[in-house]
Amino acid sequence: MFSYCWIILFAPIAGFTILSWYGNRMSRERVGMFGCATVGLSFLVTLVALSELLLDAEKQKGAVSTLYNWVTAGSFSLNLSILIDPLSVFMLLIVTGVGFVIHVYSIGYMREDPEYSRFFAYMNLFIFSMSVLVMAADFFFLIVGWALVGLASYLLIGFWKEKTSAVLAARKAFVMNVIGDVGMIIAAFMIFDHLGTLNFLDVFTLAGEAFRPNDDAILLITLFLLVGAFAKSAQIPLHTWLPDAMEGPTPVSALIHAATMVTAGVYLVARCHVLYELAPYTMYLIATVGVVTAIFAGSMGMVQYDIKRVIAYSTMSQLGYMFLAAGVGMYSIAMFHLMTHAFFKALLFLGAGSVIHGSNDEQDIRQMGGLRQAMPITHITFLIGSLALAGFPLTSGFFSKEAIIINAYHSDMGNIVFWAIAVLGAAMTGFYIFRVYFYTFVGQPRTSVHAHESPPIMTAPLVLLAFFSLTVGFGGYMVDDFLATYFGMHMPHPDDPVFETIGVGAGLVGIAAAIVFYMTGKDRLEFIKQMLAPVYDLLFHKYYIDEIYDYLIVKPTRATGAFMEEKVERDGIDMAVDQVGTQVREVSRVISLWQSGKVRTYAFNMIVGVVIILMFVVFQ
Amino acid sequence: MLTLIVLIPLVAALGLLFVNKEATGAIRNLSVGASGLSLLISLVLLLRFDTADPGMQFVTTLAWVPMLHINYQVGVDGISLWLVVLTAFISFIAVYFSLDRKESLRNFMALMLALEAGTLGVFVALDMVLFYVFWELMLVPTYFLIGIWGEGRRIYATTKFVLYTLVGSLLMLVGILWLSLIHFEATHELTFDIQTLVHMKIDPAVQFWLFWFFFLAFAIKVPIFPLHSWLPHAYVACPIPVLLILTGAMSKTGAYGLIRFCLPLFPDAVESFGLLIACGAAIGIVYGAWIAVAQRDLKALVAYSSISHLGFIALGVFALNGEGIGGSVLQMVNHGIIASALFLIVAILEKKMGTRNLNDFRGLSKAMPVLYGMFMLITLAALGLPGLNGFVGEFLILMGVWTSHLLADLSTTYVLMGGLAIVFASVYMLYMFQGAMQEKPEKLPENLTDINRREFGLLFPACVLVVLIGLYPKPFIDRVAPSVESMLTVEKTLNLHAGEDKGGHH
Repeated sequence: MFSYCWIILFAPIAGFTILSWYGNRMSRERVGMFGCATVGLSFLVTLVALSELLLDAEKQKGAVSTLYNWVTAGSFSLNLSILIDPLSVFMLLIVTGVGFVIHVYSIGYMREDPEYSRFFAYMNLFIFSMSVLVMAADFFFLIVGWALVGLASYLLIGFWKEKTSAVLAARKAFVMNVIGDVGMIIAAFMIFDHLGTLNFLDVFTLAGEAFRPNDDAILLITLFLLVGAFAKSAQIPLHTWLPDAMEGPTPVSALIHAATMVTAGVYLVARCHVLYELAPYTMYLIATVGVVTAIFAGSMGMVQYDIKRVIAYSTMSQLGYMFLAAGVGMYSIAMFHLMTHAFFKALLFLGAGSVIHGSNDEQDIRQMGGLRQAMPITHITFLIGSLALAGFPLTSGFFSKEAIIINAYHSDMGNIVFWAIAVLGAAMTGFYIFRVYFYTFVGQPRTSVHAHESPPIMTAPLVLLAFFSLTVGFGGYMVDDFLATYFGMHMPHPDDPVFETIGVGAGLVGIAAAIVFYMTGKDRLEFIKQMLAPVYDLLFHKYYIDEIYDYLIVKPTRATGAFMEEKVERDGIDMAVDQVGTQVREVSRVISLWQSGKVRTYAFNMIVGVVIILMFVVFQ
Repeated sequence: MLTLIVLIPLVAALGLLFVNKEATGAIRNLSVGASGLSLLISLVLLLRFDTADPGMQFVTTLAWVPMLHINYQVGVDGISLWLVVLTAFISFIAVYFSLDRKESLRNFMALMLALEAGTLGVFVALDMVLFYVFWELMLVPTYFLIGIWGEGRRIYATTKFVLYTLVGSLLMLVGILWLSLIHFEATHELTFDIQTLVHMKIDPAVQFWLFWFFFLAFAIKVPIFPLHSWLPHAYVACPIPVLLILTGAMSKTGAYGLIRFCLPLFPDAVESFGLLIACGAAIGIVYGAWIAVAQRDLKALVAYSSISHLGFIALGVFALNGEGIGGSVLQMVNHGIIASALFLIVAILEKKMGTRNLNDFRGLSKAMPVLYGMFMLITLAALGLPGLNGFVGEFLILMGVWTSHLLADLSTTYVLMGGLAIVFASVYMLYMFQGAMQEKPEKLPENLTDINRREFGLLFPACVLVVLIGLYPKPFIDRVAPSVESMLTVEKTLNLHAGEDKGGHH
């Protein structure tokens, strides 16, 4: 069945290989066309798989297609295989669909870049890696995909490799993600140890019998998996790499650090929902971390001036909402928000890219303003994206976020605290995104740079994504139906007009606050800033988390390394070994003194020896 | 066939001594020809190897010292097969790399080929005396190669290296004689054949002594923490071509010895000391990685990272199960490929920059795009990126440790330490790669050119293998696994009368 789905993997990896070998010798047009075509092909094949799943409900149970036996050692055996089921196809649609749109946009955005072909090669590599991640049929290849997307992310963050900040950001992202990988590897060991297999379908079938709820083993497994999920999805405390990752080209931020890769953590929890349901404590932790990250990131986003960083914090915050939904057991709502978020966040990033492109690589929103006239299409699409993000009624974000907020209270695992914090976060969302909007598009230009609208190849993707950002919200029921076979349940729709209204109202309040501060005079803003100076400072410096990590982890690690080399290695172990040699030489020197060649000494020694032996014999 | 593989470099080494010193052309042809031929035959060996047969294949036996029943006996099984191929491969690369040497090419080449022969001999010898002879044969050329052509404190380094290993190997010699005496007392048959001796059930008290005699020799060679302190000195002083063989092939002889001798001969002793030794290995993994993080000298950085990676190999051996040992053997091959490629890159950089200190240059990527790509691939393999070969080995080893019965008490700790080292590996490898290749070009010499065709040719096989083994490790593991399985389940058919008090005389 589904063996044709291997094309989804082969097309982009072929693209990567060919572009990295021959890309320099191809014309720019051809590089762009080729890079997009491979991803487009993957998308088409995904559509075929989707239709097959929709037409035949029997196939929705999931099917595994095996390429070859990868390795067998001891009791450990592994096939290279992919799993096609509603969840993986759902993710693939987003990855290849949004991926394709962003590839097209990149043709315009990267036009001036001297290393055009390398960019498309890496982007193709990313699509391949992400497809491996979502199509993996076992934990091992999940980890492989997991690490490969980390690699692609590393390569693309550090794409401008002569920029020191980009190089550092790339390394930071990579190392943080390796921490996550190690967590997942350990989880895989534990799963194999308990169940004797790493295959998803087998693991999920066996798990119910092998573990009792909240067993130590299942708690540890789920927690170690979470290390990977939190590192990849930039949740507290492994989040610091994501804002820095904005050093990469903007399409990269849109594709990897908004729409697809960072959502892998949510996908992991959804994929392993059988395991997580056996560990309610872990679920509670997920929801807590999610909701805390949501307001934590939101609060930082409210004061940043770099347009991309604000959107990056927004991404963290929205990922927090997805984890909240997953944590309270509403997996398909989490996936639904993942989908709507992919559209409107990609739109916002691409819009920001268009702004940056149009105003000569300026990223500071204080240097922008009044771009409404100069960039009409970018303006209107960015506005749509902002409304969707803020959860303005009837946009896509409204449906998915409302569902999360209401279920944060009404689901079995929800409570009023989750709900309240989620509402607060929604208000922040409205505030920070409209702050950016007003700074950027409204008012008078703040610099003399003449902004210009981007070419059609960039605006067309914006329009398309804007269309979806407005409309996909109505498809919530379809998503739920489609995924219900995998999650084994339909999502409830609690009817609670009061809480619902408050939820909607929060976003609008945030927008209103932004209007009050940024549209009606600067005095009030300055006054508030003065009033809350310490808080403002704390937020602006990102709660000093980077500094804290630097002092607590980075510096001590390096110092310990140097200390070990100096003291333990050189003055300790090495010295001890040398001492053995020195002492041996010393002893032989002393011995050699006896062999002085003087007959008198020999005679004396002989007599002493004889006396000692005699005494030994006599007194025994 | 095995005899040919070992003999060709040896004969060529001797033959080189009769060639005129000035005839560089002839010297080059002879040495490349010899090591190339050896590599070719080893590839034929690989093709004709029977995967299903776990026992020794291609066995040749000739009487050597009939009076003492010492035989010239060689053979390979799945464990040594890959190491033979690896050694032949690395040696060829090393010989080829040192072709453009200006001074005393002849002597250098002769010693290199002798080193190759010794290392190959260790992997194929089935007679313990023969094994010992090859073991010492490795040492002599290394001593001169480092001592004469090394850099820095080369005399200190080489003396330390030789004394250190010699202490170990002399103990092993005592062990070999003792072992065969025990066998003689029981059966009145003198033999040094390892395949016969493994079936002997030795009194545990005696095992303990014998185990340490053998173990020390191998542990020093690997090296297992805390017996590693010769390594940084020797590696930093060592000329790069020699270093390729030293790290790529010779460092594997220690781990190979552990698998071939210590595990099957002394199961009770392994049972008692395994946890402790694995502890040393695990500490070494973190220790080496941690120190590597603080290095700025590329050669020292790779040297310390080697301590870390070799620790993984030793750890896998003492997991004492199919995953662990299979992973170790695979990782030996992986480390041989990766470390030698890294040292090659270091050598290329040093040649072009005149320094190998990371503080002294940066931003090579623009001037050297080809090296950039290859360096990146090797870096990723070295830090264990899934999909490339390093990960397969590390994953299998750690999985073996996790499920090991022997290490059950501390397996979680060891795996966590391994995990920490993997994180450190990504830190120091990226320091190395990014520090040298990325950021704005700084302090670069004029007319910097990319690697030439020969250097490309030297690195290219490593790049291919790194990807190949990562994508499809099955052919590698499939040959190893049956032999490991049969080694783990070796039957102790020859029961000795217990209670012979052999221990305690030392």
